[in-house]
Amino acid sequence: MRLQNIMVVEDSDEDFDTVCDAARRGGILHPIVRARSGAECLRLLRGSAGNHDALTLLVLLDLNTPGDDGRDVLREVRSDDALGTVPVVVLSASANARDVQFCYANGANAYHVKPVDHGLHLKVLQDIFAYWLSSAVLPA
Amino acid sequence: MSQPALVNPTLPWGAGPYSIKRHGTTLATCDSEPVQTPGCIQAHGALLVLRLADLHILQASENTLLHLGEDPTALLGQPVVRVVGAAREVRLREMLARDALDRGAAYAFTLPPRAGRAALDVCLHTSGGVAVLEFEGTGRAEYRADDDFFMLVKAAVGRLQAPVSVRAFCQQVTQEVRAITGLDRVMAYRFHADHHGEVIAESKRDTLDPWLGLHYPAADIPQPAREIFKRIWIRPLPDAAGPLMELVPLANPDSGLALDMTHCALRGASVMYSEYLANMGVAASLTMPIMRDGELWGLIACHHYTTTHFAYEVRAACELLSQMASLKLKSAEQAEQLAYRLKMEDVHQQLVVRSAREGDLLALTAYEPSLLDAIDAGGAGLYHLNRWWCVGNVPDLAQLDQLAAWLYERPEFQSATRPVFITDALAGMCPAAVGLEDVASGLLATVFSRQRRGLLVWFRPQTMRTVKWAGNPDDKPRVPGPQGMRLTPRLSFETFIESVRGRSLPWSDIEVDAALRLRLLVLELVITRNERLADLNADLTRSNEELDAFAYVASHDLKEPLRGIHRYAHQLFESAQARIDEQKGDDDGEGLQRVESLMRLTLRMDSLLDSLLHFSRVGRMELEFEATDLNAVVADAIEMTGALRTISGSDSDSSIDIPRAMPVVQCDSVRVCEIYSNLLANALKYKRQAEAHIEIGYIRADEATERPNAPAASAGQDIFYVRDQGIGIDRRHYEQVFRLFKRMHGRDEYGGGVGAGLTIVQKLVQRHGGRVWIDSALGVGTTVYFTLPGAPSGARVEPG
Repeated sequence: MRLQNIMVVEDSDEDFDTVCDAARRGGILHPIVRARSGAECLRLLRGSAGNHDALTLLVLLDLNTPGDDGRDVLREVRSDDALGTVPVVVLSASANARDVQFCYANGANAYHVKPVDHGLHLKVLQDIFAYWLSSAVLPA
Repeated sequence: MSQPALVNPTLPWGAGPYSIKRHGTTLATCDSEPVQTPGCIQAHGALLVLRLADLHILQASENTLLHLGEDPTALLGQPVVRVVGAAREVRLREMLARDALDRGAAYAFTLPPRAGRAALDVCLHTSGGVAVLEFEGTGRAEYRADDDFFMLVKAAVGRLQAPVSVRAFCQQVTQEVRAITGLDRVMAYRFHADHHGEVIAESKRDTLDPWLGLHYPAADIPQPAREIFKRIWIRPLPDAAGPLMELVPLANPDSGLALDMTHCALRGASVMYSEYLANMGVAASLTMPIMRDGELWGLIACHHYTTTHFAYEVRAACELLSQMASLKLKSAEQAEQLAYRLKMEDVHQQLVVRSAREGDLLALTAYEPSLLDAIDAGGAGLYHLNRWWCVGNVPDLAQLDQLAAWLYERPEFQSATRPVFITDALAGMCPAAVGLEDVASGLLATVFSRQRRGLLVWFRPQTMRTVKWAGNPDDKPRVPGPQGMRLTPRLSFETFIESVRGRSLPWSDIEVDAALRLRLLVLELVITRNERLADLNADLTRSNEELDAFAYVASHDLKEPLRGIHRYAHQLFESAQARIDEQKGDDDGEGLQRVESLMRLTLRMDSLLDSLLHFSRVGRMELEFEATDLNAVVADAIEMTGALRTISGSDSDSSIDIPRAMPVVQCDSVRVCEIYSNLLANALKYKRQAEAHIEIGYIRADEATERPNAPAASAGQDIFYVRDQGIGIDRRHYEQVFRLFKRMHGRDEYGGGVGAGLTIVQKLVQRHGGRVWIDSALGVGTTVYFTLPGAPSGARVEPG
């Protein structure tokens, strides 16, 4: 049985590397799938729907991606019954109150600010993995 | 119209009748002279006073022997037949029966020459119940047909048909009068509102100096003389310096009254007048009134430098001309006013066109033509929203402001349709104008905003300055008269100067109308200008919003590469450290330091971006105004900044003092808390000594205490302050400290920071409609003051 994947919606290579780095340091074995845009994310999620082994366990969503940005992805995912229950954790460059408000109102499961300090950034990501993959019970 | 004899016992001639010959030199002023009852005639003719009932002679001039062949004593009590013969007596009776002769003399007949005596023209009129016969030499060898003069006058009148201006018209009149009379100088003399006169037209012998444009004091034509000119059409004086002949007896034996000589061509001239003429070298004069609406508008004054003779026909022609001139004057005035009006309309049009193009009030004063060309004045000014636009000679700005304050109190400005104030003697009414006579004796003002925000004014200097005065003692040597300096009219000049001091030429109705039309133009302009300002403000608001959005996006997007840079630096740092740990690197630690610096710089840039983001958010967010207890807000701010921890943590005597409970104000509590926390953070940061002493307080709007450096706009508002005893700010930097990212000290001095605190405070205060300012001294401390008007006044509640 293959492990369910973690989807990272991120157009920045550096930030994606940091996610992978944090996963490695945290000993995360789930495969990490990268989507470079909101559209690609939705395509991948919909393509794997119904295929249990390919199901996505958790979405890490960057709010400012090219094309359809994270806000659109969030709305689409939450309005699609087949995808509706996957936890979406938003990562954003700023703590803008309007963005935070929007994301929670549209069904985001958490909102995190990406710190510029690399050490802090790694810690935030490791905390996310630890919480969602160890502490929390996710829908099967 | 009879004139009773003056019997005022205080006069030099006491209770008896007056005679120029006996009393003329005892007079002190011209205005007391009884010019209508001079008691004397000019010597070139003779006069008989007849009882109307029987035409017997009651009085005779003392020179009848010369002209009529018999002494007065021989004539008194005799019937007039004795002088004129039976046929001519019948003619007199016919005239008396047929015509009303009390308004002017009529030609009766010509007495043919008799032994040694010239032919005499005889004129008849009635006065105070008597008939008056005047005998004057015809001045001609042969009889001349009346119709010659009729043709002359007819031609002259024909030429007066199309006047374009009052001056041109008067010029024409003087030329015609001179053509008919052949006199040396003929002037049209116009009375101004203050009765001083101006020569507005002149026709003269080429060799004479021009008097055109000269102004004469009012006293030169005294009031009694002006009164007479309202009743007669001509005043001949063929030999001004000639002798005077008294009536015998001086008083009418029937009534005891002096003869009213108003309508006598032979009336003896006032001593003053003959001296006046003599002073000017004039030997003969002929004067005709120009009447307008029953008022004496001016005179046609003719001077001749040798004695002359005014034949009856010549006088009749001149009378006719002066009557024609009076009738036509109005149309000349109307033509002139029309021309002035057209000129003003033209200027008005040009102002409209230019101001519409420029959309600025400057269009009215900065170019030709300006407001000053629109109305004849020395200077003009426009006041709008605390600013003056001026052209020409105007008082200085402080004086203008004082005048404006005084003007706004004028009841005239309450009128909805004609809010105009005019005066030609401002200093007499307005204390602020005293000393400004040379600039602002005359004032024409209109308001276009009743909220004390808009004024349109024109100034005129005092007349004294604007005109050329005849007989100014500074210009010409005075000529003593036959009686010495005492009576020379030029002595009146000093008095006269007093009477025109502080007076300007008066404003005319058409000028007032023009001012009112310009007022409408300015109103339109002001409205256009306000619309333009509103547009600009909208643009400004829009670009401010765009700037905020830009700052947000820019700082947001800058963070991503910054994070990448920090990540690589971090990785470099880790690997370098690993190499050192494994002791196989050749790194002496310098590379490590550089990477550390790189990481520190990226973090600093991160905090700058955060401040920029925050600042842009402060500009964009909606404020939530509510009644807020500032005591709670200040307590929160102290908590947030950890001020108390800082203070209690140090073993010094640091303190935060709040001398009295803060009020409840209408504001956004979160933002005001941010104001206080920023100010507190600064006060804690920029300490001079180990301990910090901070005072948080306020000055109530209604407290009479000092409001240090408070801007005018903060009047009527509470002032809040945070005062420290820190390092202080140099006065030079009061403005700079509010600039974003402006730091006064080194990056790591005083605990570092990005330099956004005061900028954000300023923005937050501005969002509350308030002002923020600084009072500080180096090495003493800083007080930051601010106001929070925010909501409409009256919303403030006292703390419960």
